[in-house]
Amino acid sequence: MAAQKQRRERTAGELGTRGAQLQRTELTMNPSRGPHFTGCRSREQETFRCWWSAGTFQNLTEPGALRVFYQTKNALSEWQECPDYTRTVENECYFNKTYTQIWTSYCVQLRSVPQNITYDEACFTVENIVHPDPPIGLNWTLLNVSRSGLHFDVLVRWAPPPSADVQMGWMSLVYQVHYRVRNASHWEMLDLETGTQQSIYGLYTDKEYEVRVRCKMQAFDNFGEFSNSIIVHVAQIPSKESMFPTTLVLIFGVIGVVILLVLLIFSQQQRLMVIFLPPIPAPKIKGIDPELLKNGKLDQLHSLLSSQDMYKPDFYHEDPWVEFIQLDLDDPAEKNESSDTQHLLGLSRSGSSHFLNFKSDNDSGRASCYDPEIPNPKDLASLLPGHSGRGDNHPLVSRSSSSIPDLGVQKTSGVEETPIQTQPAVPSWVNMDFYAQVSDFTPAGGVVLSPGQLNSSPVKKKGEGNEKKIQFQLLSDGAYTSENTARLLSAGVPPSPGPEQGYQAFPTQAVEGNLWNGEYLVSANDSQTPCLVPEAPPAPILPPVSDYTVVQEVDAQHSLLLNPPSSQPAICPHSPNKHLPVIPTMPMGYLTPDLLGNLNP
Amino acid sequence: FGLSLPAVAVLLVALLCLDPHCRVGSAPICAHGPSGCHIPSLADLFDRVIQHSARMHSLSNDLHSEFEQYFLPSKNHIGKIYRKCHTSNILTPNGKDNAQKLAREELTEVILKLLMAWRDPLFQLHQSMAHQQDFNSFSSNKALEMGDMAHELRKGVEKVAEKMRVLGMLGNSVTGLSAAEAMLPLSDSGEAMSDYELLYCFRRDSNKVQNYLKILKCRIVPEHDC
Repeated sequence: MAAQKQRRERTAGELGTRGAQLQRTELTMNPSRGPHFTGCRSREQETFRCWWSAGTFQNLTEPGALRVFYQTKNALSEWQECPDYTRTVENECYFNKTYTQIWTSYCVQLRSVPQNITYDEACFTVENIVHPDPPIGLNWTLLNVSRSGLHFDVLVRWAPPPSADVQMGWMSLVYQVHYRVRNASHWEMLDLETGTQQSIYGLYTDKEYEVRVRCKMQAFDNFGEFSNSIIVHVAQIPSKESMFPTTLVLIFGVIGVVILLVLLIFSQQQRLMVIFLPPIPAPKIKGIDPELLKNGKLDQLHSLLSSQDMYKPDFYHEDPWVEFIQLDLDDPAEKNESSDTQHLLGLSRSGSSHFLNFKSDNDSGRASCYDPEIPNPKDLASLLPGHSGRGDNHPLVSRSSSSIPDLGVQKTSGVEETPIQTQPAVPSWVNMDFYAQVSDFTPAGGVVLSPGQLNSSPVKKKGEGNEKKIQFQLLSDGAYTSENTARLLSAGVPPSPGPEQGYQAFPTQAVEGNLWNGEYLVSANDSQTPCLVPEAPPAPILPPVSDYTVVQEVDAQHSLLLNPPSSQPAICPHSPNKHLPVIPTMPMGYLTPDLLGNLNP
Repeated sequence: FGLSLPAVAVLLVALLCLDPHCRVGSAPICAHGPSGCHIPSLADLFDRVIQHSARMHSLSNDLHSEFEQYFLPSKNHIGKIYRKCHTSNILTPNGKDNAQKLAREELTEVILKLLMAWRDPLFQLHQSMAHQQDFNSFSSNKALEMGDMAHELRKGVEKVAEKMRVLGMLGNSVTGLSAAEAMLPLSDSGEAMSDYELLYCFRRDSNKVQNYLKILKCRIVPEHDC
């Protein structure tokens, strides 16, 4: 079984593939091969040849010892001997055209005639043993070279074998191209090609290639011999020049991109800064524009601030020192229970009976109201530093009800309180009266407070002009004896423009925030009054002005100790005139009774 | 269906009238004369026929190889190399020279005979392969296709012969191949041939037909060194 298989395989290998159908029968199973056919082939399907070998039988090597007989199986015919033993080639039997029949089964036998032994037999049909000759004229042409210069394509051409009659179509051939890198071991095979040319793609430029071609009959399996190999080689073109512009382009491109980026960053710097470094939001009052606080108008700010909770009018109700005193000009005799003085005395009353007795007066408690005729009182609103006077300086916020000029006239009658009332937004503190002027002492030790007297005439005389001037003149209502008033008191001369300038100095000083710190020095025309620059003889003071007395301390008995005024007044730092005599030291802003007494004519 | 008769009638009329081009009718292709369309020349006809025969032969070769690959003939067949095909009775030129020496009419006739002889056996072959479970469907489809191709090839060769007759290249000696020669594919022993034998024989005969047609074309249509 194994021997038969081996035999069959040998048959297939030597005499073509299985399709050759060359089946051999060996009559003897001899391990050492005896005489046998080595192959039968046809080149052009018109003739064929058979070859044999004597094998190991040495005695049969001489020519003529073995003979070939054939038989065609068309019809039952006898065995005939080989028509032509080739002379040039040993052990070859040639069948020419006459003896070659296509589509006919042949059987050949190898016999030794003397012994009448058939050593080998083979049967086949001619079309199954056709092995075409190799194509001729193999050449190649360059198709193209890749851009990189590393690969190239070639077109390989050949001609069919001259023995094959392809023009008539007796043999329809298909070709197969092989190629490999020179001296490599593995051949690359391309697909079968019916034409006589084929392209090879993807060859490397610096390598040498071997190309060869073979053919076979279409629909048959026997390939012919390979043609001679040709060498395909394309030298690699040095591509340094091609690299040069590429690198240049790269470098310039990178530089251009960098320049673009820098330009972009610089042009959009602000935006980039905002994006990358967002500004820290500044603290601000909720609802209020900080710019408005800086530069806004007084009334705007007033409206703004009034909308805030902190500026509710109720705020001031908590402070007993801050009260809203209603001034009723029509009824000057009407008492106001909520006067400052009352509060002042009320506290003391609750505390001790020894406190100052308050001589209630009809006019006591009457506060001068915010004068609506006062133009642009809101300017002073800006002067109010919030509610900073909470501690030391109690901003007198009061409702205005009447005009001050009238007040002055009315209050000359009696003790009056003319605290100036202002609206919260119009802290005309210049009009406020926090203090009640002590006019007299009762024998019991009580203090009689008298309303400040003010001759509003100077105010009226100066009605025009500076608002602050006017307001300052209002200062002298009741509690304060303004400069002019002092002047009037002393000299009874209408105030001259000189002191006005001095008054003008005061508002500025007051703006700076020192409300009660001695800014309002009532001065007389003489040199005793500090911080006054009366360049003219003071105006005659009409009614006697009540005096101020500084409460120095409260003794154990809850009585106010009032300081006698000293003869040395403090030097007003803002006094432009140096020639003013020094007034005995005393708290600024107060005019002692002595001084007043001196003022009186 | 609840369709009423008028609705059906309307539907039918609509279908008919919608696309008048859909009406199927037989119209000659070149009704407008030679200028209307391209009439294939004899050379073109021969080329088509030869291509067809080449495909047919390739198919037969594939089938035969498959058969031989899976069903190697048993040892008993080794001796029986010579297989007498049912077409062996037909005298066919056995070589190029013989075929070239044969008259055109005879050559044409031989071709037609061969093709005719294989009409039924190919059908049988397909039937036999389809029934057998050994073959996959691909092989049986190839057999069917082979049968169809043989049939078409025969028709084509008849057309070519007709054309040649019209052109006066063929004499009247070509008898009408009504060919009642329904030859049954019988082997020597009278029994039906096996599939393998049929395939072997058809492979041989298809190669014959292909080569004969090429020789015929070379003789009819004079070409370069034919």
